[in-house]
Amino acid sequence: MKAAFALCFLAASLSATSYEIADILTASTAADTRAKDWKPGAGLALEVSGMDWTADGKLAVAIRKGEVWIVDGVLDAQPNKATFKLFASGLHEPLGLLSDGKDLLVTQRTEMTRLRDTTGAGVANEYLTAGYGWNVSGAYHGYAYGPKRDGQGNLWVTLNVDMGDHADNKAPWRGWGGIIGKDGKFIPMVAGMRSPCGLGTNLAGDMFCVDQQGTWIPTTPIYHLRKGAFFLNPEGVASEKLSASPVHLSAPVPSKIPYPDALKALPEMCPPAIWMPYNKMGRSGTDLATCDTGGKFGPFDGQMFVAEFTDAKISRVFMEKVDGEYQGACFPFIGGFASGIVRLRFAPDGSLMVGMTSRGWSSLGTKAYGLQRLRYNGTVPFAIKEMKAKPDGFELVFTKPVDIARAGDVAMYRMTNYTLFYSGAYGSDEIQSAANGIVSAKVAADGRSVRLKVGGLRPLYIHELHADGLRSAAGEALDHADAYYTLNRIPKN
Amino acid sequence: MMARAAILLAAAALGAEPLVTGFERFHAATPTAEGGRLLYNELGCVNCHGGETGLPAMRGPALASVSQRVRSEWLRKFMADPTTVHAGAVMPQVLVKADAQALVAIEHYLAALKPKAAAKAPAKIMHVNGGRGGELFNTLGCVACHAPGQGFVPPDGAPKAADFTHRSIGFADLKTKYSLESLSAYIFEPLKVRTDGRMPKIAMEKQDAVDIAGYLLEFQGSDGRLDVAIDQVALDVKRVAAGRKAVITARCAACHDLPKDVAAAPVALKKTEGGCLDAEHTKGPRYALSGAQRAALKLFLAKKDEAASPKVAADLTLQALNCVACHERDGQGGPDAGRKPYFQGDHNLGDTGRYPPPLTGIGGKLRPEWLAKVLAGENRVRPYLQVKMPQYGAATADLAKLLGIADARAALKFEGGDDTAGRKLMGTQGGAGCITCHRWGDRPSLGIQGPDLSNIAARLQESWLREYLINPAAYRAGTLMPSFWPAGKSFNPAILGGDTDKQIASIFKFIESANGEPEGFPQNRNGEYEIVPKDRPVVQRTFVEGVGVRALLVGFPTGVHLAYDGEHGGPALMWNGRFFDAYTTWFSRFPIFEKPPSEKILAWPKSSDGRFLGYRLDAQGNPTFLYEQYGVKLEETFEGIEHGLRRTITWAPTPDFSPALTHPEGMSVDVKESSKQGRRVYIYLLK
Repeated sequence: MKAAFALCFLAASLSATSYEIADILTASTAADTRAKDWKPGAGLALEVSGMDWTADGKLAVAIRKGEVWIVDGVLDAQPNKATFKLFASGLHEPLGLLSDGKDLLVTQRTEMTRLRDTTGAGVANEYLTAGYGWNVSGAYHGYAYGPKRDGQGNLWVTLNVDMGDHADNKAPWRGWGGIIGKDGKFIPMVAGMRSPCGLGTNLAGDMFCVDQQGTWIPTTPIYHLRKGAFFLNPEGVASEKLSASPVHLSAPVPSKIPYPDALKALPEMCPPAIWMPYNKMGRSGTDLATCDTGGKFGPFDGQMFVAEFTDAKISRVFMEKVDGEYQGACFPFIGGFASGIVRLRFAPDGSLMVGMTSRGWSSLGTKAYGLQRLRYNGTVPFAIKEMKAKPDGFELVFTKPVDIARAGDVAMYRMTNYTLFYSGAYGSDEIQSAANGIVSAKVAADGRSVRLKVGGLRPLYIHELHADGLRSAAGEALDHADAYYTLNRIPKN
Repeated sequence: MMARAAILLAAAALGAEPLVTGFERFHAATPTAEGGRLLYNELGCVNCHGGETGLPAMRGPALASVSQRVRSEWLRKFMADPTTVHAGAVMPQVLVKADAQALVAIEHYLAALKPKAAAKAPAKIMHVNGGRGGELFNTLGCVACHAPGQGFVPPDGAPKAADFTHRSIGFADLKTKYSLESLSAYIFEPLKVRTDGRMPKIAMEKQDAVDIAGYLLEFQGSDGRLDVAIDQVALDVKRVAAGRKAVITARCAACHDLPKDVAAAPVALKKTEGGCLDAEHTKGPRYALSGAQRAALKLFLAKKDEAASPKVAADLTLQALNCVACHERDGQGGPDAGRKPYFQGDHNLGDTGRYPPPLTGIGGKLRPEWLAKVLAGENRVRPYLQVKMPQYGAATADLAKLLGIADARAALKFEGGDDTAGRKLMGTQGGAGCITCHRWGDRPSLGIQGPDLSNIAARLQESWLREYLINPAAYRAGTLMPSFWPAGKSFNPAILGGDTDKQIASIFKFIESANGEPEGFPQNRNGEYEIVPKDRPVVQRTFVEGVGVRALLVGFPTGVHLAYDGEHGGPALMWNGRFFDAYTTWFSRFPIFEKPPSEKILAWPKSSDGRFLGYRLDAQGNPTFLYEQYGVKLEETFEGIEHGLRRTITWAPTPDFSPALTHPEGMSVDVKESSKQGRRVYIYLLK
């Protein structure tokens, strides 16, 4: 088991020299959820669907079966010795968990529930309805995600569109996201999502959500959630007619046109802050976690880390505001996790907890489920830390000084841009691809950044950069030499 | 795209030239000798002028049965001027000089061909449902070639006219041509009439064919007995003889299968100009060829005697039979944007769940013997596609072999392989979890229902399989199939040292061995997921039939159990005996509405539109449910007692408020403490 794991780790070359993956609990071949000898109550199928830190510093973990476990010892040197205690059970597929004072909030399929331990026994004895007001049809894909709290203190919940038997997307708020009002009632805020599985704020407290490629979603997007926004998937748009809807579409939802044209046809449609190109950046994004560790997770404070299911990997996102709107770049970060990643949570010590389950969908992860810990070992990776849009190109900021001669050579860079096709089909090819000429590459005196002057920038297109030839001043190759900038707007200065 | 569509529509409006869809889609823009070869075959040129096109023979419809199939008046009009009566018809005008008398004579001759001892008369059609026929016509794949019909809107919405980028194979005026019975028979068994497979057979029930015919004929009402039968010709011997002469003169037998005594002798081809290629030509058959058609035919005729390469023959065969209406090959073909909405299936599988697979390299993908069976109507592996793969009869007899040669790949034979490792690699216990998305024989997958994998050793060629597993998206962009060997590197280095070739060979060997199934299928459940409340009550939320999506099940050790309404508050069901099998609620991707496992379930009538607020568990695990009615908060505790449940309801006494409470019908309820303000206690006993 241990040996197998070490091999697995080596296979994932991504950031492998700077970050270490440790098992807390993963499915072994003998203790899968469907193993013949598995019985309710015997063994713990830790299909992680929600995670947060309790008031006393333990990790509370929600699992899909409908339980919450309190895990102690996950930050120890040997986290696989962690202990598990059942806190709550009987929930209906909770897909998010948030600490709220001494209580835990979980979002089940049909409601958000406050779990309280009023006796001090370490077990929830109150299951109070704390958020409600969305239709549940019984369709298998009628998931509910969250809650997460934004900078104003609002609790956000997102709702998957229905699929399969019983599906009813005309009923209220499927594919929508919203906040929980004081009376517990769901207040719709944004529409047009499909599988909005991963909520998370940035350091400014703004709420974001990662959706997944599928019908109407050409590839995994990250949305900035704000009142009145309509994003991509119109399957649940019927709720726009309800009086509580803050979304008012002034035109029919277009279809079968390039995405930039769709934005022109429907002014209320808000472009995602980030597109994560299919396969290049994984397939199905599932969660967001913003790094705020004071450098304990490496040189990426303020950046967002994105969980991915199919490839069982984590990506990194840099965002900036241009004309008041978020946009930015995504970068591959690290793979090789045990199972399809569904939840990420930074720990007080700066490590990142990685919660997983592959049940129902395929993942490159070889285990059915698991909880792992990703920890920075202090070796700064050589990476493109930031990619910023400029009126005539991009600025790349590196984690370490670069080899100036190479970085100043335009032949080291290759850039193409493309967009996606907006339709009810499942996903999209990259369309309207065009090469960008690199006009000049000017390296800063400290070797920490490069200003690229680039021809043929196209607003709203994804700009894909490859810089395989770059080296650090010490001669290291880039940890990942590709980056994908969603250039919704070209800055004026 | 728009401009092209406009041009095509304009061409369609002219309606002049014979329609060979494969030519129009793939060759008309830039005429080539290859396109000319397709036309030379499909327009029947080859039937008079000979030569080896390498394509399946094009034959006109069977004429021995035409007098039973088609109404006289229509037939005469069609013979006189085929393209006017049926726009796009491939049949040339051969009876230019024939007068009305000659047409009648031919009709008599054809009617005389009718088999003397007619087969048993078909069963009379009793019932017809055109609405259902419309659904079938628009979803089974008919519209891959024909225009979608009226009155059916595909789920994604109706396409725009401009989305149709090529012409549809049109219909003649069906009402004057067919009876309900004859059109049904044709739709059911088209290969009996179109022996050349140009109208292929979609496997269906007889009633399906009747309903489709009813739809196309806009048959009024549902009583099939109101069908107007086709009048049979009263044979006149003189006319039959005259008709025979006219048939010989018109050389009908060149394209149609007719008795030997009217055979048409070959006509040597002496030049590549004039003749049939001339629009004003009057001596023989007259084709209203388009400029592009004429140009392509001339290019072909210049090198008519050169044999087609296997690749060209294969590509053109797929175009001649219009396989490319549904399938892409080498990036060409497949349904156009107008027809795509009519291809439906399992949306969980994305585009692969609704569109037939590409035929790019198909002869190097499928084993020839498997492919031959596919063409013969067997070995269907994609039951989720609503469009059905049709059969083409003799036209595809040699196609599997031809494709095998045209698409041949460098042979690869997997060496070694370890079937135990293969089994593991396919399973969910440390493997790639193939069965998460793929069926295995009769066993449904654990998630989405992708194609069966238990047969792929018989189905797929090894070199194709290896290449596919390493990069599935290269074969089909947008496939949901992930690569577990990206860039040739294994996802699991712990099995067989992470050797990609050994791993793939092992998977193949395991499938070939037919020895067991991959690890990870749920075992037959023998109660191991059944929740048995032993010491304390057990609460589980789930979807419950008769209660709804916000239901809470409570199992009591005393053996009488409760389902509670977690939306409005209030008890909903009670039963005794076994509590609940939690397998689906806990572990299925596809939850169902659970049903208490008891014959005898008692239900509470819904009491009011209260609102559920949650529940508490006491030290013994008994639940106290919280809800409100008319703004007053209620608490009700359930406890298990022998043979029943005890329900205690309390609330802060409020003027003019009395809770709305119900009890299961037909049950004597023992009421305790009913008079006390703010408290009620009920005992429910199941004997």
